[in-house]
Amino acid sequence: MTAVEETRHRPRLWRDVRVLRAVIQVLAGAAVLIILYVLWFNLTNNLRAAGLPTGFDFLTQPLGVDIPGSDISPSAPIWRGLLNAVKNTLALVVVGIPLLTLIGVLVGVARLSTNWLVAKAAGLYVEIIRNIPPLLIIFFVFNAVVLRFPVLQESLNISDLVIVNNRYLAMVGFTAQPNFGPFLAIIAVALLIAAGVWWWRTRRSEQTGEHHHRFLWALGVFSAISLIGFFALGGPIGLSRPILDGRALEGGYTGLAAYWAVLAALVLYTASHVAEIVRGSILAVPRGQSEAANAIALTSFQRLRYVVMPQAMRIAIPPIISQYLNFTKNTSLAIAIGYAEMTRITFQLIGNGQPAPQMIFLLMGGYLIFSLIISLIVNVVNRRMQLVTR
Amino acid sequence: MKASKLFAALTALMLVLAACTQAADTTTTTSGETTETTEAAAEETTTSAAGEETTTTAGEEAPAGGGLLAEVQARGTLNCGVNNTVPGFGFVDEAGEHVGFDIDFCRAIAAGVLGDAEAVTYVDLTAEQRFTALQSGEVDVLVRNTTYTSSRDGGLAATFLTTTFYDGQGMMVAADSGFTTIDDMTDTTICVLSGTTTELNLTARMADIPYTPLTFDENPQIQAAFIEGQCDGWTSDKSQLAGVRSAWPEDQGGPEALVILEETFSKEPLGPAVLDGDSQWAQVVDWIVLATMQAEEFGIDSTNVDTFADTEDTNIRNFLGLPVETEEGTAPFDPGLGLATDFAAQVITQVGNYAEIYDRNVGPGSPLALERLLNSLWTDGGLHYPPPYR
Repeated sequence: MTAVEETRHRPRLWRDVRVLRAVIQVLAGAAVLIILYVLWFNLTNNLRAAGLPTGFDFLTQPLGVDIPGSDISPSAPIWRGLLNAVKNTLALVVVGIPLLTLIGVLVGVARLSTNWLVAKAAGLYVEIIRNIPPLLIIFFVFNAVVLRFPVLQESLNISDLVIVNNRYLAMVGFTAQPNFGPFLAIIAVALLIAAGVWWWRTRRSEQTGEHHHRFLWALGVFSAISLIGFFALGGPIGLSRPILDGRALEGGYTGLAAYWAVLAALVLYTASHVAEIVRGSILAVPRGQSEAANAIALTSFQRLRYVVMPQAMRIAIPPIISQYLNFTKNTSLAIAIGYAEMTRITFQLIGNGQPAPQMIFLLMGGYLIFSLIISLIVNVVNRRMQLVTR
Repeated sequence: MKASKLFAALTALMLVLAACTQAADTTTTTSGETTETTEAAAEETTTSAAGEETTTTAGEEAPAGGGLLAEVQARGTLNCGVNNTVPGFGFVDEAGEHVGFDIDFCRAIAAGVLGDAEAVTYVDLTAEQRFTALQSGEVDVLVRNTTYTSSRDGGLAATFLTTTFYDGQGMMVAADSGFTTIDDMTDTTICVLSGTTTELNLTARMADIPYTPLTFDENPQIQAAFIEGQCDGWTSDKSQLAGVRSAWPEDQGGPEALVILEETFSKEPLGPAVLDGDSQWAQVVDWIVLATMQAEEFGIDSTNVDTFADTEDTNIRNFLGLPVETEEGTAPFDPGLGLATDFAAQVITQVGNYAEIYDRNVGPGSPLALERLLNSLWTDGGLHYPPPYR
């Protein structure tokens, strides 16, 4: 009797769901580990059999080549060249993501515009660009647009502010003058005071009920303090105009043609996807919300700004993150036109005799870290944007 | 082999897991027994892994001992890694056929190894891909205007064989550019193939001259950039530059629009390369290349090879694999390379001697119009000195 009852309480081991679950988990984990081990074993064994290096010692070897658009000497170690490659990829990501977000949101909203022309133009852009592979867009922008810019000798010079030719695009930039340090301190103080004003306006609005206008107030205070500081310190920031001296380009902010080509192509491409996400998210906000906004006589801008967009953005952010990640990964396509980003430099170094498996491993790790950082940042933003249920 | 290893390891692991799960559910009295089982299982794992390891290593060494020749002969075709973008050396013509100096050496190797010069599978490779393709066994031999250097020999597991073309690096500029020496080229942009020795030589040559390198994967991309004036100079091996210049589009002014500057700033011995570790295969490829030079020295070419059937010269009889008197009667001389005794005759009949290969593809009569210079027999003041066939 007791034996029967015990079996009822505790089923046999191979029929106990909890045990089975644990065993399957462990088995699956072990299988993954074994597969990884076999792959690793296979790789290192074959490398050793072929007499190829298996370690990462090569990273301290001299680079041997010049990297376009950098001052790194060819005798610098390889890891410095790789860091420069990361910097070049970062230059695409940091400039590209805000740009594509701006264009994407504007186009996405424009597609829903009641203005026929605006809506159709936005629709045309999205439908064409979204359905072309990004590599083709890069080739097109580089070969059909950037390469057709004037040659160096006939550079287009727009009143010394912008110089355009098919090698560089240079823009007027800023340079630090004497007193730049103190000016930075003044800016910091101005920011603090502006934040204080913001807080004061918010409180006052809560107490009296009058409109806070906190943004205008804060902006006004900040601008006033910075401007006074700027003139008091005798102009601590100067303009640096690009100057074409013979073949050399000096001053300003200069980017290689390939950089602008990749940036433009990928921003246009990814923005078309973001536009679709934004449009879809706006449509996903229940119609009742807009109707309610209309009912309380909000203007169409107010309706978008205060009612529709906050809710639409909540829906849009997760898919937009994945577009940011795509953008980051697609920068590797810049290899096609010779922009010195991570993939380009990696393959260049492999071509110059550095071990391919290790280099590719580093490259994959690099993109992984890039993606994880972007996910992390945007996830923090996303958490703040989500509905707080109380 | 891998599968059986995986299976063995999995089985061992399952034993351990089974033992462990039991231990968790049974009382402490049985735990001693369980530990024993675990240890036994663990031992089993080690033994099986170790056993497999030895066999794996032995299995991998087997082909290294002398397998590629047999493998190619069993396969019936030669996988030859080539260039497809350099006219005269490795190029795809209007009919879609691979033609060129390097291609003829692929054909010669196929004729010598397989008796059929057409039994070649051409694998088009970029400069960056070539050594990885060689290391992975994707190609049996690399004949892709590849420079013999110490780091490629050492770090990339390549074995370089007899140089087929003694070359040097030069600089090509537009005829109307006004550049007469490389020292004039301050602040210029110079196009160069990525992953080549030319890239490294350029860096060394321009150590004191400010310039921007523009690197691409393939010659057609450089050509597009050069035509659009994105770069002022194009550097490569002089033979390659001559090839590109000979095929320069007529609407861009044809070959006359370009000048190759006089200066040669590197040594570029170009030749076939095979993977380290298979000396038999290396010898076979080497002696086939040498046979084309030896044939020129003997005055044997594809048109007159038949007339040597009755020659009295023992050296020539040895070379062509004609029967010679030995102590045991008449038999063709076999140098013991593992090839048919008439391999040289096959190479000469089907492909030709070195002079024929040179003249047909790059010699004074061809569009490239390159003089023989160093690429002549020692008797003519060149560097070809094939070791004796005996």
